Amino acid sequence: MREKTRILRFSVFDRLFHLFIMVTFLIQAVTGMGRLLYATTWGKWVVGLFGSYETATAIHNTVGILMMIAFAVHIVYVLFKVEWRTPGKRLFHPDSLVPRFQDVVHLGQKIRWFLGLGPPPQFDRWTYWEKFDYWAVFWGLPLLGVTGLVLMYPVGASRYMPGWSLNVMLLLHRAEALLAMLYIFIIHFSIGHLRRGMFPMNECMFAGSVELEKELKEKPAWIARLQEDGRLEEVMVPGPPTWYRVMYFVFGYAVLTVGIYLLIVIINYRNYIEWH
Amino acid sequence: MSAKGRVIFSLALLCLSLLVAVPAPAQEEVTSSIRRYREREASTGYYEEYEVKPRRVRPFVGVPGVGRKPFPYSPGAAEIRTRTYLADSHRGLEFYAMRRCEDCHVAEAKHSHTVRGNVTCRQCHGGEPIASINHYFSPLNPIRRHAYVCAKCHEGANASFATFMVHEPPAAAAATRKTFPSLYYTNWFMYLLIVGVMGFFILHSLVWISKEFYHQVMEKKRKPEDERKDQNSAL
Repeated sequence: MREKTRILRFSVFDRLFHLFIMVTFLIQAVTGMGRLLYATTWGKWVVGLFGSYETATAIHNTVGILMMIAFAVHIVYVLFKVEWRTPGKRLFHPDSLVPRFQDVVHLGQKIRWFLGLGPPPQFDRWTYWEKFDYWAVFWGLPLLGVTGLVLMYPVGASRYMPGWSLNVMLLLHRAEALLAMLYIFIIHFSIGHLRRGMFPMNECMFAGSVELEKELKEKPAWIARLQEDGRLEEVMVPGPPTWYRVMYFVFGYAVLTVGIYLLIVIINYRNYIEWH
Repeated sequence: MSAKGRVIFSLALLCLSLLVAVPAPAQEEVTSSIRRYREREASTGYYEEYEVKPRRVRPFVGVPGVGRKPFPYSPGAAEIRTRTYLADSHRGLEFYAMRRCEDCHVAEAKHSHTVRGNVTCRQCHGGEPIASINHYFSPLNPIRRHAYVCAKCHEGANASFATFMVHEPPAAAAATRKTFPSLYYTNWFMYLLIVGVMGFFILHSLVWISKEFYHQVMEKKRKPEDERKDQNSAL
């Protein structure tokens, strides 16, 4: 029996949702960027990897529908997680991802710390940037999904809206996708993996747990709250087995490589990106 | 005829002339006013037999999207504008036969239908002479565009579908604010969103990562000295 030195942060469902969105997001990014840059040699090459423009579009559309189904499943999952007897208490609990006034205070304290004017904020379970990550995807997915669905069936959609609104939808779809890629490949990657103590890789989303020592520095208020409630022992888990670690290190680095490569492509072909 | 008789006669002629002479503008009732032309079509049973000229441009009314000024466009611009009603939109252009579409229509040649769908100009705009889009018989006239052009590929295309702008204006251009406001403002919204989010978070992570890195280096530097101090104090 391995020693329980780690604190559980993500359930199996959370990790599966993250794994799903990692894979589907990358497929969408590659098939989308290839078609966006179809006028360039790179775009033609990437689309060629999938066979043809039509095949790349079909993959993009199918994966998009899968993502929307997963989003619906996620909403059902979240609704089951809320304790409906005391929703007010539960929704604004530190264990919830709903933004609180405390997050604004934490951001202020963080900026104060950046300027060397005070101590770093004492984070609870979810920090403000983690909440931003979550809600950015939460509003981005339906936006991309609805605009994508409209562009998927333009003739049918134009029965319910003027055809010129498809021009606007196309702009929204491309701009939002570009924002999502830039945010994930620059901000999400660097906050997750480049920071001190995180550097080779932040294993939390795969292992589901973090070393208690590390979390004492990162989220002191959370640990303190758990100790106060006497629930710290309940959430302690042993570390992941070695074979699993090897697997997710290889997978994680493959994903990072594709993401950074796409980021380089975006920067390299910035003049060819027409988002409208 | 007496003088009195002449006056009566000329007055009678004048009265008769009111009944006989129809004012000149009204004589174009068949060819210039669409409404009356439709009436003629309905009464005769002959449809689309004559070419119908557009309504006269009224100088004090202006054209949608151009501005309501007494003289909203220059004579040169007016010449171009009237080209949107011609049976041969390129009428009178020098060396027209030697030119390619994209020589003049540079931006129009780079849109998704051409770049992705391999659609050529003539597949939508038709062969020579290429009619102006607003010409009454043009396949691209909005009254039949969906059926004559769009539906060739997009099965079941309707009039609403045909309002999709294939040659859409550049979303960030100032003129787009008047010609396609929703596109213009959406573009600005997304642009500010991207610049705002990325600007804030890039700065945020840069400061954060470098500050943590600095602390790490300083701790590493300090550690040996501290250990030595501890050893000294222990001694």
